This record gives sequence, structure tokens and C-alpha cells, in this order.
Amino acid sequence: LTALTRGVRRALLLRSFAVQGSWNYQTLIGTGFAFVLLPVLRRVYRGDEDALYAAVARHAELFNSHPYLATVAAGAVARLEDEGAPPETVRRFKTALRGSLGSIGDRLVWQAWRPACALLAITLILLGAPWWAAVAAFLLVYNALHLWLRVWGLHVGLRDGLAVGRALRDAPFQRLGERASDAGAFLAGMAGVLAVGDASRGPAEYALGAAALAAGLWLGLRIRWAVWAVLVVVWAVDTIVVATS
Amino acid sequence: MIPEPGALLALVVFGGAVAVDGTSLGQFMLSRPVVAATLAGAIAGSPEHGALLGLFLEAFHLTVLPVGAARYPEGGPAAVAAAGAYAGTSHSFSALLVVLIFALLWERLAGASVQGLRQLNVRLSPPPGRESVRSGRLERRHFLAIGADFARGAVLVGAGTLLAGWVLQQGFFLLPQGTVARLALGAVLAGSMGAAFRLFGRSRVALLAAGAAVGVLALVLRG
Repeated sequence: LTALTRGVRRALLLRSFAVQGSWNYQTLIGTGFAFVLLPVLRRVYRGDEDALYAAVARHAELFNSHPYLATVAAGAVARLEDEGAPPETVRRFKTALRGSLGSIGDRLVWQAWRPACALLAITLILLGAPWWAAVAAFLLVYNALHLWLRVWGLHVGLRDGLAVGRALRDAPFQRLGERASDAGAFLAGMAGVLAVGDASRGPAEYALGAAALAAGLWLGLRIRWAVWAVLVVVWAVDTIVVATS
Repeated sequence: MIPEPGALLALVVFGGAVAVDGTSLGQFMLSRPVVAATLAGAIAGSPEHGALLGLFLEAFHLTVLPVGAARYPEGGPAAVAAAGAYAGTSHSFSALLVVLIFALLWERLAGASVQGLRQLNVRLSPPPGRESVRSGRLERRHFLAIGADFARGAVLVGAGTLLAGWVLQQGFFLLPQGTVARLALGAVLAGSMGAAFRLFGRSRVALLAAGAAVGVLALVLRG
């Protein structure tokens, strides 16, 4: 791996944190992906400006991925560029990879890991933990997986190149997502009861809280409209009571 | 209430950082409402107020998933603005209710501004199909896009904090005890926890029940 010095790898990793910096509706993270790859492209095409600009244009085209797993694609493409793979091969590889990197990341991080970590913070606050402990717990636990995904992704991408699909299949993402969902379900139950308990002072209030918890279970993702309705109605009643008293 | 000028300036800078953390740079989740509101509360003088507000906003945001090109409310800057204003109040459930409604409205506006930024980024990015793109130009425009996101967040937080502070200063609609507000807030929090469970699949209902049992135990032990 001639162009992929330690400095270039470090630059790839650091730049991956800004892969979504110019997210747009035309190329999604395409421009950001080219930005991440620039240190590699500048070394591979050193002394040939036209070839460099053509490579930047190729990589700035439509691309999408979960941001944390973009390092898988960046590492693999960096290796392909370093090995002098034909542009069409690189383009087909990116097209084949982007769907997987998006869906794996969305399911693991957005749907399981992040809600579970947020529920951990919510539960800690409801239990009366100091504010800094809840925030620190959330940031530390969440970013442990976040940072591991970025570093692991770059490592397997650079190591496996075109064969990175096997590493993605063998990685424990499914199991990790299942365990995170288990923890999330447990914490949702605990936080739900603590929320009812914190707000209630008598049997009728406990019953109201329990009914709200049940309504949330039933409504699922439609809960936001109910939340809006309750908050606005109560605020309006509050205002009317004050105005007429 | 409207914070002191120094605190307001710090909130504006923090708001910019929160905005870029949301998508453009890092995604360490400083932009999650529970983190952003708590830290904003700390900047404005009361992290406890911030944590309480962040708890609710985070609960409402659990079911918002940023999948693909989905359009969704942006919670981070709204949480900073609302917490910055709420931190200066004496705690009341009515004030919390008002500032929560403000934050939910402001995050809609923030979400719309994200759409505007993404349209701007279309102009900053090289159009598809070009055969040659200068590397330095691409790099500068990428940084410019991140800078624009920072500025967007700073403006949202500056304007939002002033507006929320002004609304809270009016105070004419705030019931002193706020019993109804307390009950409503408890109910929406409990409902949001129930909704969040659906993210993890109905098959995990035994784990939900186990968590609820531990929650009851914690309440009993706490007296």
C-alpha cells in the first residue's frame, strides 16, 4: 500500500467526521466522500493534476452511507485507488456498497443504539442521578460504539478492499442491535414507570400516568401528535384560567 | 428569562457547535436534546433546569429517525435556546410547559432551515456529470458548507433564546402551582416512553415488563 501512509490513514479517519459536511439533495454525501478521500487522491495522482481533478469529480458524484460506516467505503476505495483499479470498477463497487452501509448503520445506530443510550440518560435523570452523570453516561456509552465503528470500518476497508462485504457479513452488527434493543425495551419500561411515579401524588394521578403509558404503547411513532395536542390544550386551559381569575 | 450578554454569547457559540454536530461534523450527539439542553442550562446558570427540559425533549425525540433524506425537526439548537431561557426562571411546571411548546415549535423552524441549508449545499457542490473538479475548490466549499451550518445554528439559538426569554418574562399565563401542567407533563413523558418501546419490537414485551417492575421497585425504595 504505497500511498496509504500512516499520516494519510489518520487524515482519512479525521476527515470522515466531516463526511456529511456538505450533505445535499443532489449527491447526498458524494461531495463529502470526495473530501474524505482527498489526502489519498493527492498522493496517488501526485504530479498529474488532470488525473487528480478527474478522480475528484468521479468521487464527488452521488453516494450515500451511514456516516459512521462511510469509513468502510473510504478505506476500500482508498485501497482500490492506490492499486490503480479502473474507475468503472470503483464506481460499481461504490454503488454496490452504499445500500448495505446505509441500512446496517440505520438499523444498528439510529433504531437501536441511540434510543437505548438516550433511554439510559432519561432513566438516570428520573432516578435522581446528577445531571453530569446522565450526560456523561450517554456520551461515553454512545460514542464507544460510534468511534469503534469509524476505526473498525477504515481498518477493514483498507485491509479487504473489494472483498469488504465478507467483513460486513461477519461483523456482529445483528447481535449488537438485538442486545441494544433488549436494553432499550427494559429501560423504556423502567423510565415509563418512573415518569408516572414522579408526576403522581394520588391514585387518580397514577391511573392517568398508566393510561398515558398504555396510550404510548398503542400509538407508537404517532405519539408526537398526541404530545402536541396535550401540551397545547393544557397551555390554553392554563392561560384561560389565569385570564379569568 | 433572557440570559446575561456573556452567557447569551456563549449559548450562541454553543448553538453553532450543536448544529454542526447534528449532521455536518462529528455527530458525537452533543446535539441530542438531553445533552444540548443540559449543557445550555449549565452555561446559563442552572444545569438542573436544562436537564429537566432535556429529559422531556429527548423523550419526544426518541421516535425521530434520521433515515435517508427524511425531513425531521431539529432538536439540538431548539433545546439550547429553550434551556438558555428556562434556566433563569424559578422552577414551575407551567413555565416548563410553555418552554416545551416553544422548543417544539422552534425545532420545526430549525428543521426547515436544515432544508434550506441542503439546497444551498446543492449550489456549493459540483454538479453531477462533471469530468473535472478542482480539489482545493471542493475542499473550500465543503468547509464553507460546515461554516454555514454553524452560522445557521448560532442564529437559531440567538434569536430563539431572546424570543423564549421574552415569552417567559411576560408570565401572564403562568399558573403559580401548575398542577394541571405537572400532570400533563408526566402523562406525555410516560406516553413517550411507551412509544419509544415500539422502536425495539413488540416481541420484547417481557423485557418492558421487567423494566417496569424494576421501576416500581425503585419508586418503593425511594419512598
